[in-house]
Amino acid sequence: MRLFFSIVLLLLSTNSFSQDFKYQSLLIPENLTKNADAVVRLDEIEVEVLAQDNMILRSKRVITVLNKKGNKHVHGYAGYNSSRKIKHLKAIVYDPLGNILKKIKEKDFTDVSAVSGGTLYSDYRVKYLNYTPVQYPYTVEIEKEIQTKNTAFIPSWYFVDGFMASVEKSQFTIKYATPNLKPIIKEKGIEDIEVKLKEGAGSITYTALNIPAVKHEHLSLPSSEIAPKLMVRLNDFHYEGFDGHVENWEQLGQWMYSNLLKGRDGLPEGVIAHVKNLTKNAETAIEKAKIVYEYMQGVTRYISVQVGIGGIQPISASEVDRLKYGDCKGLSNYTHALLDAVGVESYYVHVEAGKNKVDFEEDFPSLAQGNHAILAIPNENNYTWIDCTSQVHPFGFVGDFTDDRRAFVIKPDGGEVVKTPAYLEKQNLQRIKSNIQLLVNGTVKLTAMIETKGIQYDNRFYIEEYDNDKVLEHYQTEWSTINNLVLEDYKFTNFKEEVTFKEEVSISAENFTRPTGERILFCPNVLNRSNYVPKRYRSRKLPFQIQRGYLDSDDFIITLPEGYIVETLPEPKEIISEFGEYKTSTVLQDDGTILYKHMFLLKAGDYPKEKYNDYRNFRKEVSKYNNAQVVLIKA
Amino acid sequence: MNNFFKVCVLTFLFSNLLTAQNIKFGKVSKEELKQKFYEKDSTADAIVLYRKISVRFEYSQTIGFRIIKEVYERRKIYNKGGFKYGTVIESLYHGRSDDESLTALKAYTYNIVGGEIEKTKLKGSDTFTEETTKYYKKEKFTMPKLKEGSVVEFKYEITSPYFSSFNEILLQYDIPIVEQEIKVVTPEYFVYKNASQGYLPFKVNSSTKAGSLTLPKRTAGAGLGIGGRAKAEYGATKIDFINNVSVVNMNHVPALKKEVFVNSMNNYRSAIKYELQYIKYPNSPIENYTGTWEKIVKKIYEHPEFGNQLHAKRFYKDDLAQVLSSKTDEIEKVNAIFRYVQSRMNWNGLYGYYTDEGVKKAYGLKTGNVADINLLLVNMLQSSGLKANPVLVSTRSNGVPLFPTRQGFNYVVAVVEIGGKNIFMDATSKFSKLNMMPKRTLNWAGRIVKEGGGSTAVSLFPNYVSIENIMMSIDLSAEGNVKGKARRVCRDYRAYNFRSSFSGMDEETYLGKIEEKFSGVEIDEYKIKNKTKIGAPVNESFSFVSEAAADVIGDKIYVSPLFWFTKRENPFKLEERNYPVDYAFPWEDKFMVTVKIPEGYKIESIPEPVNIAMEEGVAEYKIRVASVIGGFQVLSNLKMNQAVIPPHQYEGLKEFYKALVEKQTEKVVLSKI
Repeated sequence: MRLFFSIVLLLLSTNSFSQDFKYQSLLIPENLTKNADAVVRLDEIEVEVLAQDNMILRSKRVITVLNKKGNKHVHGYAGYNSSRKIKHLKAIVYDPLGNILKKIKEKDFTDVSAVSGGTLYSDYRVKYLNYTPVQYPYTVEIEKEIQTKNTAFIPSWYFVDGFMASVEKSQFTIKYATPNLKPIIKEKGIEDIEVKLKEGAGSITYTALNIPAVKHEHLSLPSSEIAPKLMVRLNDFHYEGFDGHVENWEQLGQWMYSNLLKGRDGLPEGVIAHVKNLTKNAETAIEKAKIVYEYMQGVTRYISVQVGIGGIQPISASEVDRLKYGDCKGLSNYTHALLDAVGVESYYVHVEAGKNKVDFEEDFPSLAQGNHAILAIPNENNYTWIDCTSQVHPFGFVGDFTDDRRAFVIKPDGGEVVKTPAYLEKQNLQRIKSNIQLLVNGTVKLTAMIETKGIQYDNRFYIEEYDNDKVLEHYQTEWSTINNLVLEDYKFTNFKEEVTFKEEVSISAENFTRPTGERILFCPNVLNRSNYVPKRYRSRKLPFQIQRGYLDSDDFIITLPEGYIVETLPEPKEIISEFGEYKTSTVLQDDGTILYKHMFLLKAGDYPKEKYNDYRNFRKEVSKYNNAQVVLIKA
Repeated sequence: MNNFFKVCVLTFLFSNLLTAQNIKFGKVSKEELKQKFYEKDSTADAIVLYRKISVRFEYSQTIGFRIIKEVYERRKIYNKGGFKYGTVIESLYHGRSDDESLTALKAYTYNIVGGEIEKTKLKGSDTFTEETTKYYKKEKFTMPKLKEGSVVEFKYEITSPYFSSFNEILLQYDIPIVEQEIKVVTPEYFVYKNASQGYLPFKVNSSTKAGSLTLPKRTAGAGLGIGGRAKAEYGATKIDFINNVSVVNMNHVPALKKEVFVNSMNNYRSAIKYELQYIKYPNSPIENYTGTWEKIVKKIYEHPEFGNQLHAKRFYKDDLAQVLSSKTDEIEKVNAIFRYVQSRMNWNGLYGYYTDEGVKKAYGLKTGNVADINLLLVNMLQSSGLKANPVLVSTRSNGVPLFPTRQGFNYVVAVVEIGGKNIFMDATSKFSKLNMMPKRTLNWAGRIVKEGGGSTAVSLFPNYVSIENIMMSIDLSAEGNVKGKARRVCRDYRAYNFRSSFSGMDEETYLGKIEEKFSGVEIDEYKIKNKTKIGAPVNESFSFVSEAAADVIGDKIYVSPLFWFTKRENPFKLEERNYPVDYAFPWEDKFMVTVKIPEGYKIESIPEPVNIAMEEGVAEYKIRVASVIGGFQVLSNLKMNQAVIPPHQYEGLKEFYKALVEKQTEKVVLSKI
């Protein structure tokens, strides 16, 4: 009895002196605090693959938050659902000296539904740490253990924690019970940091130490793209009741098709007859596909519901037919079924969607890549791609959401990785022709015809759906240099076949020009005056990317106010740089009007940081000449 | 008369008929399905054709009274933009035992297919319940087979044990409502008061009708305290009572449209509010729920998590002594205590006038909700012999309280009276100071709570002007390039805004932002004073260069006198406005620039001086450009004297800005000598 008592005392006393000097935050070396909102003291995970359908993810994360903005690096949350269980979760908060401020048990984490915007329902939930910092810096230690049967998704390991966070120690360990469960690991960009690799019996460990924080810079790639990481997969995996053995994309395609897609494309007789009837006069497969796609766009809408296996398996085509809504998977599979009904072949595709182009890895067949589903329709030796979640995009045009990146095409007999179409500089065209009339009282009246193609089309054609108020707002924003803008009339024509959008607009604006004494000054570049100059960096650290190029070409004919003649015209200018081309000219024509011509070509590309200033100077000069003025004087 | 005209008249009659009373669930007409747009607002993506809400009380012998809210809506979807109105989400409370529930859901989508009406039922399996948090769940459904042109119809009942569950019934949506009826039936035992919110007029028709409930015989006259005019019936007792009925009928309710510079659109959304005044069962005493503001405040004061929080004083005694050491002046003391609480306490982001932890525990934890922090502040001020009191506030997001209820407040701040003047304080914000509270609290009036619970109303809008002052001296070259030095001083709320936006930002990022805003300007030698010294003005100075800051054309140079500070755009573009423009505080922009012009140039013309003023002294602007030796000097001064500008002054404000933009874009012309 006595003995027991003293043991308790001993435990208590160690507890109350558990000042953990490891976690004091005052002596973090400067190379780790520079540019950092938070310091990742320790980020370690141990993935234990116990069986093909049993995996435990044990992790421990210790973050010293240096200021308010560093709070987002704490990552004090754990997601779960029916096939992903939280076995253990706790957090401890330390003050700068390493004294314990607060202990948070699993039940004190806030438990909420993880339904995000755009999703109607999901069975995914999250427990998160709800802690108000009482001082900076402070340190949080989070331990969690998650168990899942879905070994098909082993999360990629990022050695750094986004921008503005440095890393003291980052460690990834994977243990596997049997040799067939030995993971295949793809290293990406780890040559830039110092990483130690240790391989033992049934275990692999990567350790990285002391990685300074990196600051985001304008036009730099997202951190997930430049951060060193490990991609991990098993040849023998499990997903929601299905085992798989996959060594290449072909086999992964077979597995996906036979387990998750096959047999989900049955449709009621009525709709089959309907689409057959719709396409009866179409001659080619592509013509049929276009009719079917447009039919599908007209009768469905995007609603996302994610439950269990629905994370990667589409709901059946007949369900979509009944409800007339679905998510990307459901709508793609439904369209596939409709196409099948009219005898047109099409394949279900996984792709990573978003403005950033993210490729599937050609040598790394894993389900963990991609976040979106589209369809590929064989067209001679190529594919025509359609995004079935859009009710408005032209057939065969996917825009900047899934353009120019490698995607996973899933066929009954196997899968392959194929690049989606790229929209190149000159294809992304905007052409403005305008007649501009300047009146003596300062008013401007103009009519303009604007044609957009390619990605510029993608950025524009949605205004077709706008009501009058929003159209006015659109032009007031687009032409913000024209004050008091009144929209007289407009007409939009969407040439879907050619993927060309045409706007015919007439506007007027009072006090567009104001006399300065005898003279009137105005900028002849009335409708396309970009003043964009990339942000200056005293010392640029990261390379930069111009994601997509484009070409603008404009002709404006300007009628002068009565009683005024030209005093000075801007000099013609031509700039040719590795980033693009710029050309303007302002000419007085025989009929007394001014013809202003303007051309700007921007090239897409990846550039080293050393070139950033050159690019900035190019844009600066363009901006300067975009603003060149014409001077008129009273005759 | 030609045929076209006839058709128009007919259509018009038809569409008027549509708004008539004969709307029955399940009977959707082809006319409704064929409608292409709403004639009263052709911009609407969808409309509500008919809406009926009826609230009633239901008595059950085991549970007592519950509230049943029947919801019925018929909506027309015109285009894809309206698809979101095909989804319905109801947030319901779920406590430990008393859950709210949604039942009796029936919903259909109607389409025209091959000339005939196709009716698609929403299946039970296509509805979802999301356990959002421990306290709330969401019932959700989205309609099947939704297309452009569809009509959807749904009805359901929400059962709630909470007598305040219908305290706000919205009368206005983001889409138009063609016709609606809101009916609330309350038994005489529950006395509610109603009030309206928003700009739309509507009438509440009140009447009474008989009601009854049945109690088992043995409990008659006991139980819930219900006795009344009991009639004996076989095996049970029937009790008659009177129901109060209030009905609102509205036709053609316009959509609520967004406008800029509004604190929260929801404050202007039309709604009818019902507040429970008291419950009076027969033969039982009155159970009061509300009353006058004085009574409400007193009740709040008497709550242990309010008034009592001002009593315990020992826990901070030593700390306070240290804070006040050698402070004798009252203002000095207030400032010292405020600073101490502001820096010690860390707000957890939660509102409320009742403490969460209690001031003592919060003091130890160094964190708490609004009441934990500001009642602590009042407590400490009082114990130093200062005349300090809490002030109950309704934040901007809570809206303007319409009648006296406890929900009319959601926040508490502190006030101290010195020399007959009130000084307001809110220690939850790290950037506020005496008489400068965070914007969220600036919402019309609050109530000062005196010891014992007495109270008086007080205005919360700041009555002083917050100034931003910019001074520049600029060297202009013959190429149109400039270099120079600038100084910017931000005071009061301008400093508060600066600190709120940029405190967490490093200098490089901040400068990048400014350079981006004034595209082309490059900043060096940046210095900042009082960046974190709350209370003092933020004082920045820097040197700059910029290419092509003026237009050199031929032998002339054209210069915008305010350079990149020129307002080139009128921020007010809407034709008319229904809601006030809300700046939260009066402000002033002062600008002084001295420009040295290049050698060999002279001033050819400068803009005339001008004074622009809005009626009733709401706003004033003046600019003076004067030539001085070797250049010119610009003084520009824009002053907004009112924090909130009501809609009837909008036209004036828009014109004021139009004149200002035109004036600021005039140029100084230099020519070669």
